[in-house]
Amino acid sequence: MKKEAAITVKDLHIAYRGLKKFSIKRSLLKGKKSNIEIFEAVKGISFEVEKGKILGFIGKNGSGKSTTLRALAGIFSPDKGSIDLHGNSVSLLSIGVGFQPKLTGRENIYLAGMLLGFSEQQIKEKEEEIISFADIGEFIYKPVKTYSSGMYSKLAFAITAVLETDIMLIDEVLSVGDATFKEKSYNKMHELISDANRTVVIVSHSLSTIRELCDEVLWLHEGNIKKIGTPDEVIPEYETFMAN
Amino acid sequence: MKRFIENTKRYFKYAVYSARADLKAEVAGSYLNWLWWILDPMFFMMIYIFIASVVFKTTEPYFPVFIFTGLTVWDYFNRNINASVKIVSANRAIVTKIYIPKYILVLQKSFVTFFKMLISWGLVVILMFLWKVPLTIHILYFIPILLVLYMVTFGISLILTHFGIFIEDLGNVVALGLRLLFYLSGIFYNIVTRIPKPFNKILLNCNPVAFIINSFRDTLLYGKAPSFLVLGGWFMIGLVLIAIGIHIIHKYENSYAKVI
Repeated sequence: MKKEAAITVKDLHIAYRGLKKFSIKRSLLKGKKSNIEIFEAVKGISFEVEKGKILGFIGKNGSGKSTTLRALAGIFSPDKGSIDLHGNSVSLLSIGVGFQPKLTGRENIYLAGMLLGFSEQQIKEKEEEIISFADIGEFIYKPVKTYSSGMYSKLAFAITAVLETDIMLIDEVLSVGDATFKEKSYNKMHELISDANRTVVIVSHSLSTIRELCDEVLWLHEGNIKKIGTPDEVIPEYETFMAN
Repeated sequence: MKRFIENTKRYFKYAVYSARADLKAEVAGSYLNWLWWILDPMFFMMIYIFIASVVFKTTEPYFPVFIFTGLTVWDYFNRNINASVKIVSANRAIVTKIYIPKYILVLQKSFVTFFKMLISWGLVVILMFLWKVPLTIHILYFIPILLVLYMVTFGISLILTHFGIFIEDLGNVVALGLRLLFYLSGIFYNIVTRIPKPFNKILLNCNPVAFIINSFRDTLLYGKAPSFLVLGGWFMIGLVLIAIGIHIIHKYENSYAKVI
């Protein structure tokens, strides 16, 4: 089988600069520009993910995992380097984006789905599936603000899980709802990411999840790639590194 | 430009749907909530009528309609400008989780306020009927003036959206500027007759809000056509402002999520 890349990242640099905002009052009082702090979160990483593969990011807090993920989702643009998604659609699996708490669950399905870039028609086709997957009964016709936090996450997960994109980005594998739903969502996740056409990037601190799900693991350390390879190669080394 | 058209095509439906959702949510709390969209400007109007006709003894014809026209335009402009400064941080939950062209947020807001303005215009029509304002063919100019109002407001909002992210106290400055503008826009007085020459002309032509309010009054109340030269001028300025706004937002929008 010919290898086809779904994500190509070349020499990616991302810096947070000027986190302190400019203030007219402050600059009038002090008469000088506030100095700009630059923090480089990602310092030139390159990697490639084949279509249908599952890549896991590991690394300690602040090593640039989430930043890279957000850059892949298009929320940040790279300061240097390039990200090529080869025309695939991408979504960051996250909870309850763009919910309007005063509206019913059904209306929020449309709202969130359209925000993800789906047309009304596409959402209509998937609507039943989302509602049955979320499994919150009559509450789907009630305003979202009346939901318990579990129901809220169930609905949010159902939306992102059923409305699929070519590339899925997952920040911390979701564990939402009660035990039954957790199992269901885990199975759904398994089904989603083992689809041969779907490319998945997962960020997680749970090494057992990474070992179980991923084909490849990328270890980030302070904005650089420390090691990249199969889970069996990388994880033991990472474990000994973290133990020290 | 191409990117703008593609993005707008893709997210236009979302902007409309989400604007509708916002309006619905406002009404959802109680069924009387939408009454506030009407009551709020109504009470303001009554206060101004009291001040202007009892305290200052104005002789403006059709005074309630006169004031309501001004307030309708002002409310629309004011709501958009005020909201645009904070619009990205107000939508923080969306902006940090997903890519959305940031001017779509401004567009969405403008739909919400535009709808409210239409209700207000409906009231103007009722008032015109009650005060027996004679109708002329000039009333058709209402549409192009409305278009210019929309474009100028949208253009300024876009630019403020960008700067509102990097300048943290821009909101205070804008609030101050708006208050000044409020008194310079002739909402409860007639700029043409109340301000000495030649300043009235200068003010009228340089302040878009004053010009637009005055043009609306010309067409609706006095059966006069607006000044096409100035209207055309503001149309062009509106276009340029929108182009600049879209351009800077395109250029910098991906760093917004890092700052807020």
